[in-house]
Amino acid sequence: MTESDEAAPVTRREMLGVLGVLGVLGMVAAAGGGVLLAATPAAAQALGANETVEAGLARVFGGRPMKDGASLIKLDVPLIAENGAVVPVAVEVNSPMTPQSYVKSITVVADRNRIPIVTRVALSPESGKAYMGANIRLGETGDVRAIVEQSDGTLWQIKREVKVTVGGCGG
Amino acid sequence: MSDIGKVRLRLPSTIKVGDVVQVRCLIIHPMERIERDKAGKIIDKKYNYINKVVVTYLGKTVSTFDTTQSVSENPYFAFTLKATDPGTVTVTFHDTLGGKYEGTAQIAFG
Repeated sequence: MTESDEAAPVTRREMLGVLGVLGVLGMVAAAGGGVLLAATPAAAQALGANETVEAGLARVFGGRPMKDGASLIKLDVPLIAENGAVVPVAVEVNSPMTPQSYVKSITVVADRNRIPIVTRVALSPESGKAYMGANIRLGETGDVRAIVEQSDGTLWQIKREVKVTVGGCGG
Repeated sequence: MSDIGKVRLRLPSTIKVGDVVQVRCLIIHPMERIERDKAGKIIDKKYNYINKVVVTYLGKTVSTFDTTQSVSENPYFAFTLKATDPGTVTVTFHDTLGGKYEGTAQIAFG
């Protein structure tokens, strides 16, 4: 041991103890944050999880009832996707986009994917039109759903089957 | 993979005041999928994929995409916005490793 080590007021043991306490505090803070986030599903942090589609929908929408939105929503997906790694999806909702009544979010769900919740788009009245498009992955043939949440909290759902020739999720 | 984070934004060629314009954007990003070891167990590591895309126009957030690994490699997104004033559309991509990539386009009325 060198002289400077002996003179140091904080020993290694004390230092570790302090770090441990800090770590616990950090975890408590993180857990608190998690509770807050859970209270507002719109802010759910880890959107993607390895789960069944039912579990995913229950987690994101908290089991709220969904109406059939076939007359309201246009879900544009190919009938047959030759390459599951890149499947173009477009969702358009026939709804006004005024500050009083607008489409708050559009969620795309792929039922048979290991991570069923694909993407959720939060929109605002400035969007002008309730529209979103994206390229998604599909692991295998199955339903693709679009779930639309309006500013008053109403949920609309539409689904369409996409046949996948070569899966694109791997793993 | 030095191309990671290259963003391309496309606007319609002519925009009139008050139009609802469709903006398309593309980013080069691997969007890593879940990997499994030989026994079929998921390898637990921090996968690098984009989990947030924020669109701002005239300093206001217009739309936000929360994305998961079920989105394709080199993802493409499309969205609309109402062109009211000339200004900049900024699309910011955030990935799970803390990367932040930005693309901009100018809205001008011809």
